[in-house]
Amino acid sequence: MTYNKPPIQSPKTTRREFLQSVGITFAVGSTGIVGACSLDSSSEPNEPLPSSGNNTISANAWVTISADDSIKIMYAGTEMGQGSMTTLPLVLAEELDADWENVNVDIVSVHDPVYGNPIRYTYYGFPILYTAGSRTLEAYYPVMRQAGAQARKFLLDTAAAEWRVPVAELKTELSQVSHTASGRTLSYGQIIELAELPDNLPLVDEKEYKRQEDYRYLGKDITRVDVPGKSDGSAEFGIDAQVPGMVYASVLRAPVEGEEPLEINDDKTLEIDGVIDVVSLPHGVAVVAETVEAAFWGKSALEVIWSTNSPFRNVTQGETLDTYETHARDLTFSTDSPLWQNVGDIEPAFNEANTVVEEMYRADPAYHAQMEPMNATANVSDDGKSAEIWVSTQTQSLTVMAAADTLETSIDKITLHPMLIGGGYGRRGEYQAKYVDEALLVSRAIGKPVKVIWSREEDVKDGIFRPLAAQLMRAAIDSEGKITALQQRVATPSVLSYFNVPRWKLAEKRDGISMNGAQTSRYDIPNIRSEHLIMDRGSRVAAWRGVGTSYTRFANESFIDELAHREGADPLQFRLDLARNNPDGKKVLEEVGLMADWSRKREGSALGVALSDYGGFSVAAGIAEVSVNEQNGEIQVLNYWMVIDAGFLVAPRNVNAQMEGNVIMGLSNALKERITISDGIVDQSNFYDYQIMRMDEMPDIHVKAIINNKSPSGVGELGLATTGASVANAVFAATGARVRELPLTPDRVLAALRG
Amino acid sequence: MANFTINSESIEVDANPNTPLLWVLREHLKLTGTKFGCGVGLCGACTVHVDGNSTFACMIPVSAVEGKEVTTIEAQSNPAQNALKEAWVAEAVPQCGYCQSGQIMRAANLLENNPKPSREDIVNHMRTNICRCGTYNRIIKAIERAAEEV
Repeated sequence: MTYNKPPIQSPKTTRREFLQSVGITFAVGSTGIVGACSLDSSSEPNEPLPSSGNNTISANAWVTISADDSIKIMYAGTEMGQGSMTTLPLVLAEELDADWENVNVDIVSVHDPVYGNPIRYTYYGFPILYTAGSRTLEAYYPVMRQAGAQARKFLLDTAAAEWRVPVAELKTELSQVSHTASGRTLSYGQIIELAELPDNLPLVDEKEYKRQEDYRYLGKDITRVDVPGKSDGSAEFGIDAQVPGMVYASVLRAPVEGEEPLEINDDKTLEIDGVIDVVSLPHGVAVVAETVEAAFWGKSALEVIWSTNSPFRNVTQGETLDTYETHARDLTFSTDSPLWQNVGDIEPAFNEANTVVEEMYRADPAYHAQMEPMNATANVSDDGKSAEIWVSTQTQSLTVMAAADTLETSIDKITLHPMLIGGGYGRRGEYQAKYVDEALLVSRAIGKPVKVIWSREEDVKDGIFRPLAAQLMRAAIDSEGKITALQQRVATPSVLSYFNVPRWKLAEKRDGISMNGAQTSRYDIPNIRSEHLIMDRGSRVAAWRGVGTSYTRFANESFIDELAHREGADPLQFRLDLARNNPDGKKVLEEVGLMADWSRKREGSALGVALSDYGGFSVAAGIAEVSVNEQNGEIQVLNYWMVIDAGFLVAPRNVNAQMEGNVIMGLSNALKERITISDGIVDQSNFYDYQIMRMDEMPDIHVKAIINNKSPSGVGELGLATTGASVANAVFAATGARVRELPLTPDRVLAALRG
Repeated sequence: MANFTINSESIEVDANPNTPLLWVLREHLKLTGTKFGCGVGLCGACTVHVDGNSTFACMIPVSAVEGKEVTTIEAQSNPAQNALKEAWVAEAVPQCGYCQSGQIMRAANLLENNPKPSREDIVNHMRTNICRCGTYNRIIKAIERAAEEV
């Protein structure tokens, strides 16, 4: 199997929608060529076959079978290491009974509702291509199964008619139909030559799908299609785009959001060998050069006077977070967004409570630190109304739509080449991507293809961040020590209103990014209220791996731990009791407790546990073992155990990889990652002052996925959010000090130790 | 103008002598397997070998490799590198994959000097290279596997 680079032109196919419910359409590939393929000897003892003249047939929008037995399967997501570029085509291939060795995977490069993610439908009024939220496998799984089953049925029917035998006497295996009684076989490619494709193919009943015990590929560890190229340097990421005649641009951006260049002195820049031009942009100044180094040198030589009237100049993070905290503590304060979660009625419970417990949790912003800095390559036509774009993006649809907005043109004039992604984590899912706009605007200005590359410093300073948050957790406890109400007040900006304006317009002030995880879904508490207090943003904000969960679960699960200790209960047993009516949640807690040998007391270290949902119905429980240096406040995580339930494991080894990745990124963030902003300027700039976890800092990681036969659910961001709370809970268990602010830096640990 | 050897081939590059080797490789020679990550030697994504020593290509000007032998991930005939590339596939190391060329080049340097590294040797040697996806465990496994093969 291989994967193909996206085609330069969108496929020329005639499509007729007939199965809107699952997004499957009917398409006929190029026809009329006979003899491009020959029948091999394995077709004996058949008569020479009459041919309909097909050399390819697309049974639906997802699969094209060629007379040479090659099979092309479309992948509508993007690939950032999560593996669904392999997993989804593999689901189709399994149901088709295809020979995976002859499968090519093509990334869909067009914004076409036919390929839209079904789960994204409600956000936009029409389905878009958007790889985020760990919903790709879950969303497309039924579509891929149907598409594969439908194509297989068509091949069987065609072979049955050819041989004049009942379909029930035929079987399929490895891209071949056989009739055992007569010993006849036809490869899928041979059948394609015979086939008359009807106007539409009927839906295949789910009962006719392949049985799990017959799976050849699913549930096994098939090499991901992108792994070989990523193991020998040949994989092509956005930054690797090479376009004939291309020049380079580097952009000096305003130090504070909202400022613009007032005066530009480019004398020294233009003296640099290789510099071609200097282009003023709304938010910065671009230096265009024949070489990338000249573009960077030219940028360094620019002298720019910026405007000074942006309100963001007044932003200093500590003050911003204090303001958020004040609003979170003021129970009368609301921003009129619909309640995120509302179970029962918390008011009577709080009025009648024996005890009310309140704690405040704070979180700093986080940077994605994806290894591939932002970049884009664009070639805008002379009339400025059409463009080709090469970029690593999490969304074909939004990239095309935003580019059309920028050029004031229509989306059919934008040709996208979605490249492999050198780290996504939400960073490449925004609507109006600044790096794409820069490439488009500079290319239009100078009439050449342009590659824009951000330096790491630009990537940090001009980053879009997981927002900061202040959260008030409240609980009502009755005279028997039972939790009768739980309240979570999350004061944080709306990510969507900045990151994805079109979606925000449809969201009715319900922000599924900012608020994700602020629900208590596994515990039996009769009255729950969770609400979003929408704060002014002090920085650009973004989805970040696990979106809101890294801070919402930190608050929620730290607070549950505090309630357990108040009652003198064991924190794991306390949760198991709360999860008594939630078998899945209870199961992962039990299993992770067994793995970690929870009740065993450690010398010099202690354990903490936390629970988190993410991605469809997936749930994870994590346990951290930490030791704390009480002299300098440093936390060392010695072991991390995590158990998840994400349904059927389509690619088990890949699931484990995602779990390990979530633990490492989560711990890295929880222990040390911190963006700060002073007078509107991001203080950090590279990996020396925004450090991420290195190999020698990682704990021993032990992961396990519950085996079951439920429909598969997401794993790409699952469990990351257990890390912050489990480490904070372990620190408390080890020292009696409660740290309520992310990240859990040594200064904060020391402050907590000193009470 | 700089003259050096790249993956056993002599070449002449017409570039400003101050140009970082990284950009010469990636954008002048179109050898894009070597990646740009931080530009200041903190992440290891640009790791190549210069005269057999692992080196951050972002940190040295092309003038510094005059007459020297530069080896990149694209090299075909380096035994340690080849064993590592196979081990990387066998252990399914890459996730996003962006850092992996640098990881492999860094690991090749280890195996060339220490054919049977302990786990501790591996961790100490590899700490120069960041992987944001968190593939560290598999990197260790793949290096151990490659060490068996070389």
